[in-house]
Amino acid sequence: MTKEWLKVVVASIFEMVWVSGLAHASTPLEWFFTAIGVVVSFYLLTSSVKHLPIGTVYAVFAGLGSVGSIIVGAVFFNESVSLLKLVFMGTLILGILGLKLIETDTSKGDK
Amino acid sequence: MHWLALVAAGLMEVIGVWNIKRLSEGNKGALLFAFFTMGSSLLLLSYALQTIPMGTGYAIWTGIGTVGTAIVGIILYKDSTDVKRLACIGLILASTMALKILG
Repeated sequence: MTKEWLKVVVASIFEMVWVSGLAHASTPLEWFFTAIGVVVSFYLLTSSVKHLPIGTVYAVFAGLGSVGSIIVGAVFFNESVSLLKLVFMGTLILGILGLKLIETDTSKGDK
Repeated sequence: MHWLALVAAGLMEVIGVWNIKRLSEGNKGALLFAFFTMGSSLLLLSYALQTIPMGTGYAIWTGIGTVGTAIVGIILYKDSTDVKRLACIGLILASTMALKILG
C-alpha cells in the first residue's frame, strides 16, 4: 500500500515539472523534459488507481500539487509564504496522513 | 460563459480521472478518452481564467475535481463512505481551495 501512495506523491512532483514546462519551456531539451513529465505523471496515476480509490488519489494529487507550487514559488522565485498559507499546508498534510492511515486499515484483508 | 466553461472544465477533469481508472482496469481505449477529456479540461480552464481571477478559478476547478472523483468512486467503484475517510477528503479539499484562493 505504501508503494501506491509513493506513486501518487511522485506523480504530483512530475506534474509540477510539466506544468512549469508548459509555462516556461523554450528549448527542445526543455520540451523533451516537459513531455517526459506528462508521461511519467500519467503512468504513475494510472498505476496507483489500480489499488487506491480514485477519490483518494485525486484529492491527494491535487493537494500536493498546490503545496508543491507554493514550495517551488518560495524556493525558486523568492515568493513569500504567509503564516495562513503554512497553516493550510499543515491541515492539508494532516488530511493526507489521515487518509493514508484509514486506507491502509481498510485494505488489511487483501494485502 | 466563462463560469460555464469553468464548471465544464471541472467536470471534464472528473471524466478524465474516471478514464484513468478504466485504463488501469485494462480498457486501452480509455487512454484516448482520458487525454481528450483532460486536454479539453485544461483548454476550458484557460479560457475561463481570461476573466475569472486565477485563485478563485483554480479553487473551483480543483473543488469540482475532488468532490466529483470522490462521488464517482463511491457510486461506480463502491469506495468507502466511512465518515473518517470523507472528513479527511473534506479537510484536504478545504485546505487546497484555501491555498488556491490565497494564491
